Amino acid sequence: MSFSENLLMALSSLKAHKMRSILTMLGIIIGVAAVIIVVAIGQGGEAMLKTQITGSGNTIEMFYQPSDEEMKANPNIFQQAPFKQEDIRALEQIPEIKRVVASSTKLSSARFQKDTVDVSTTGINQAYIQLNELKVEKGRNFSTSDFLGGRRTGIVSSKFQEEFFKGENAVGKVIMVANQPIEVIGVLEKPTGLLSFGSMEVYLPFQTWRNIYGSSDFTQVTLQAASAEQLQVAGKKAAKLLNNRHNTEKSYQVINMEEIAQGIGQVTKIMTLIIGSIAGISLFVGGIGVMNIMLVSVTERTREIGIRMALGATRGQVLTQFLIESVTLTLIGGILGIFLGWGTATVVSFFAGWPSLVSWQVVLGGVLFSMVIGVVFGLLPANKASKLDPIESLRYE
Amino acid sequence: MIRLESITRSFLLGKESVHVLNGISLSIQSGEFAAIMGPSGSGKSTLMNIIGCLDKPTEGEYYLGGENVSHYNDKELARVRNQSIGFVFQQFHLLPRLSALKNVELPMIYAGVSKKERQARAEEALMKVGLADRMNHLPNALSGGQKQRVAIARAIVNQPKLILADEPTGALDSKTSMDIMEQFRELNAEGVTIIVVTHESEVAEYANRTILVRDGMIQSPAVLDRGPSI
Repeated sequence: MSFSENLLMALSSLKAHKMRSILTMLGIIIGVAAVIIVVAIGQGGEAMLKTQITGSGNTIEMFYQPSDEEMKANPNIFQQAPFKQEDIRALEQIPEIKRVVASSTKLSSARFQKDTVDVSTTGINQAYIQLNELKVEKGRNFSTSDFLGGRRTGIVSSKFQEEFFKGENAVGKVIMVANQPIEVIGVLEKPTGLLSFGSMEVYLPFQTWRNIYGSSDFTQVTLQAASAEQLQVAGKKAAKLLNNRHNTEKSYQVINMEEIAQGIGQVTKIMTLIIGSIAGISLFVGGIGVMNIMLVSVTERTREIGIRMALGATRGQVLTQFLIESVTLTLIGGILGIFLGWGTATVVSFFAGWPSLVSWQVVLGGVLFSMVIGVVFGLLPANKASKLDPIESLRYE
Repeated sequence: MIRLESITRSFLLGKESVHVLNGISLSIQSGEFAAIMGPSGSGKSTLMNIIGCLDKPTEGEYYLGGENVSHYNDKELARVRNQSIGFVFQQFHLLPRLSALKNVELPMIYAGVSKKERQARAEEALMKVGLADRMNHLPNALSGGQKQRVAIARAIVNQPKLILADEPTGALDSKTSMDIMEQFRELNAEGVTIIVVTHESEVAEYANRTILVRDGMIQSPAVLDRGPSI
């Protein structure tokens, strides 16, 4: 008797008791869906945390952590910007580095007509724009001539427009930043995500910024590597280069991504394990439900089993029939559970601004695991069916 | 065709063993139409179960078509039931969720016949019992006589040498009973050996031989050979 024959038989007998089949599947559906959701959100969260640290485009941030001696020698060291313009040019020579994104931030004041407000002003280099860090919603982004000519143009945050211009369009207005006139050419998008409130910010081309504040040093440097694999190498080379140039031992550093990624991995792994085991328990309970219903089904169909045996079904064939029936039940439940879990994870991630990753490994695992449940919990009822005595079964009312 | 040699069958009832069959020896030739009669409790059902390979004798030998099947295991017995015996029951024993056609296909599924051939043979068998227009009906939509015809079609579809009918007319009115027995007679004319278990003498009259069972033994004169004289 072929497998497809058995499958069709199983489907028709499940269809004969639709309500019962669906209720039995429910345990499996919920269990599999729970596993999918937990894994999808866990992996999505892990991926999100990693990109938050590494940046979206293979970027790594450099930071300056002066040693005790340096701090003693120069108590004002934190007031000074640690990266010189020559440093940037030197960094750009490293082959693994694609771009050096540099910026400098100073707190300052902005004035429009009679209103004055505190803002953080950031001078950025052209690579900053190329990395797509500034998402302009209204007006335009900086052009090459803005950078090269040091034009007095600026882009403001949406919060700035909201508070300073009372929501009016800020594009085209001229504001005074540190008493220098700046024409607003663009307004940024509102930041997304649950915990972003936005801040009062003005972005300027670095040339302009330098002219206003008279400083050509950068406070922040982010490196972009050509590929993710080169990121760590590029970071190490950059740190070494800067330490050589400044005669420091290890004041210039990059974050060790591997360590952090490992730490995050550990946390999410434990979380996934805990919730996953709860989901596993629900699958186990679902499996017991399947076993229960299959036992009922075997009892109900005693006569059918007797008839089949009289017509020449071997015990093995009866066993296979019921086993395939329970596997079909859990398999359908598992597939429905995958769709439910997938859908739920997508909806949750949509509202939480959190990516969800449903990997094919998890889907395959869900399918296989539900089939295993079908076999394990179907074995007892199927065995019971195959051990029935044909004479007794034919007489069963 | 069938040869039973001192068959006994006993069951354990608590600690006591109850002898249902006490040494039955019997042979039925190929192409015979035999009726097994006897009062209830006589052991005729047990005898039929043993002849039908649904049960094994406690002692004695059973030869079916030359094979000694008395020591066969469950799997071999299943094959014998499938290939060599067709069953017809009093309660029809059709699967209620399958159409007449699918019910007739069942024994061929277990015989490993291909789907296409199965359908063709099942249709042929149903036509033979006069149900060409009822093939796709569920058993519930059929009358008692029609159900029994489906059961007969199912019994003959694997072309067995032997058909075992256990009270085949027990649930039918007398008119329909006659039709069903006519059907058996036709099959018998084609050379199929038929054994009918019954307690109705009208039914037994269709057979050309009646075997009386009483108290687990064949009553003497064991064989009432009515033959063509009646």
